[in-house]
Amino acid sequence: MSALIRTEPQEELNSLERVVLALQYQKPDRVPAAPLVCGASCRVLGYSYDRWSQDPKVAVASLLAAQDLIGFDGFLTLVDLSVEAEDFGQELIFPERSTALPNFDNPFIRTAEDYGKVRQVDPLKSRRMSTVVEIIRGLIEARGTEVPTMGFIYGPLGVLSQIRGHAELFKDIIRHPDRVLEAVETINRSLIDYAKAQIQAGAHAIVLDPLYSSASILKKETWVKFEAEIFKSVAQTIRDAGVPVIVHNCGGGVYFDAVLEHIAPIAISHAYPAHGSPDWEHHAETWAKKVVSIGVADPAKVGHEFSQAEVVEDCRRQIETFSRAEGGFILSSGCEFPPNGSLLSARTMVQTAKVYGRY
Amino acid sequence: MSSEADDLNERLAVAVLELDEDLAVALTHEVIERGFDPWNAVEFGLLAGVNRAGKLFDEEEYFVPELLIAADAMYAGLQILRPHIKTEDHGNTRKVVIGVVQGDTHDIGKNLVRIMLEVAGFEVHDLGRDVPPHKFVEQAIEVKADLIALSTLMTTTMERMSEVIGLLEAQNVRNRFKVIVGGSPLSQHFSDRIGADGYAPKASQAVLLAKRLTGLVNAA
Repeated sequence: MSALIRTEPQEELNSLERVVLALQYQKPDRVPAAPLVCGASCRVLGYSYDRWSQDPKVAVASLLAAQDLIGFDGFLTLVDLSVEAEDFGQELIFPERSTALPNFDNPFIRTAEDYGKVRQVDPLKSRRMSTVVEIIRGLIEARGTEVPTMGFIYGPLGVLSQIRGHAELFKDIIRHPDRVLEAVETINRSLIDYAKAQIQAGAHAIVLDPLYSSASILKKETWVKFEAEIFKSVAQTIRDAGVPVIVHNCGGGVYFDAVLEHIAPIAISHAYPAHGSPDWEHHAETWAKKVVSIGVADPAKVGHEFSQAEVVEDCRRQIETFSRAEGGFILSSGCEFPPNGSLLSARTMVQTAKVYGRY
Repeated sequence: MSSEADDLNERLAVAVLELDEDLAVALTHEVIERGFDPWNAVEFGLLAGVNRAGKLFDEEEYFVPELLIAADAMYAGLQILRPHIKTEDHGNTRKVVIGVVQGDTHDIGKNLVRIMLEVAGFEVHDLGRDVPPHKFVEQAIEVKADLIALSTLMTTTMERMSEVIGLLEAQNVRNRFKVIVGGSPLSQHFSDRIGADGYAPKASQAVLLAKRLTGLVNAA
């Protein structure tokens, strides 16, 4: 006589249903698990990183294969933080085995006068933003009724830092504020069109990344003036189309209060406790019922350091900490899952949610 | 030190603290013109100003932009004073080679560490960002460095740090240099795994670590 052993019981909900419920603070069958496996997916089918990040067909095939392998509950179309920058004129470097980066030996903006060179671009006619739109379209066509696909847009101040250089931009904020603001406004107008293009391609939600809304970089009022007051129009455009807005920020000490006030996301994907919270307990107590948390595993630890047992224990602890969210929690890495990190650990995160995250 | 020199150094410190580079330059010229001790002007003027800015940074009164501009004011003054300073004036002769590893261009953290190391008197050789592993090794050998400081913000480039250590070992020079690592995704565990001599989670701790590893302060 043989016994049938089911190690992977049939789940009650599909990923899309599960995530939609969690984003509305309604308890799904279990905690959704969506480690931000983006560039790491290129390894599943053996593509190089530079090819993955420039060929939408390769990216779509890789992300689908990664979802088959890992079973995560959502796609995030974060290709790299230089996508928009190239389309605004910045020369990039595409390493074979790592994330694309700006060539800051040749910055598009060399002097404060150069801020005037920034011109609005049409995302659909650009090289890289159109690639992301095509990735969204491909994922939606392949799995749009089962797995949520989230678009991704880097904030205008972040984009500007990728075409000026981070340190120079931060100094210009003090020395040449009007020029910085003018360029942020110009970039933002293109980002509105970029958001519309992602929505048109079918994105279930759009993730906005205002990276500098973080106490580790800027004063809150500075971020509000130089990004939030402008970027909020992108968030409103997305909401007006009936699509949810999510914020991602992997910086330290994110200004949750200001982000909620100006961008008003339904969820925040983050790596550290909010500004003002000394630890996760305090964070969960303060914020878990005000905005859905997506996170909060340390990507370097889960991707590179932890044994599988440690990944399980770390994720179990997070599920426990955010149990006070009453359903409003998605287990994830607090930043992109390391492209060269252990894919087994990403899978273990999902398995942990299945075992310890049942409601 | 005369009270007039004290007063001038204090005004220099305040100019740096208040991010007034033009004033810092003018006051630095005044130090030279009036024949005051240039090293004292560095220590009690420029560096004191940056130290106070750093304290405000820790207290979240200042943020990265303010700290970077304070550092610019300090460097502007330092450029004027440096030719007038004898190297033995400041005691610390330790040399550091610092840079952001290949594949990463995020250099603000590295720049903060460089500033703080210079404030502490180290001779810093900054290789900048996106630095190939062999460059660290070549430069460290060339300048006879005491310490190599490696920085990265990205998980994809962390392993470049172990390549630097591997090259040092391959060239049989590993024991000539202490190697420290820092950056947001790193940890003591990672530092131990790649065989670095130390890891610092914050810029200010990097300076203490550098002092300890180069024998400027006790390990206790």
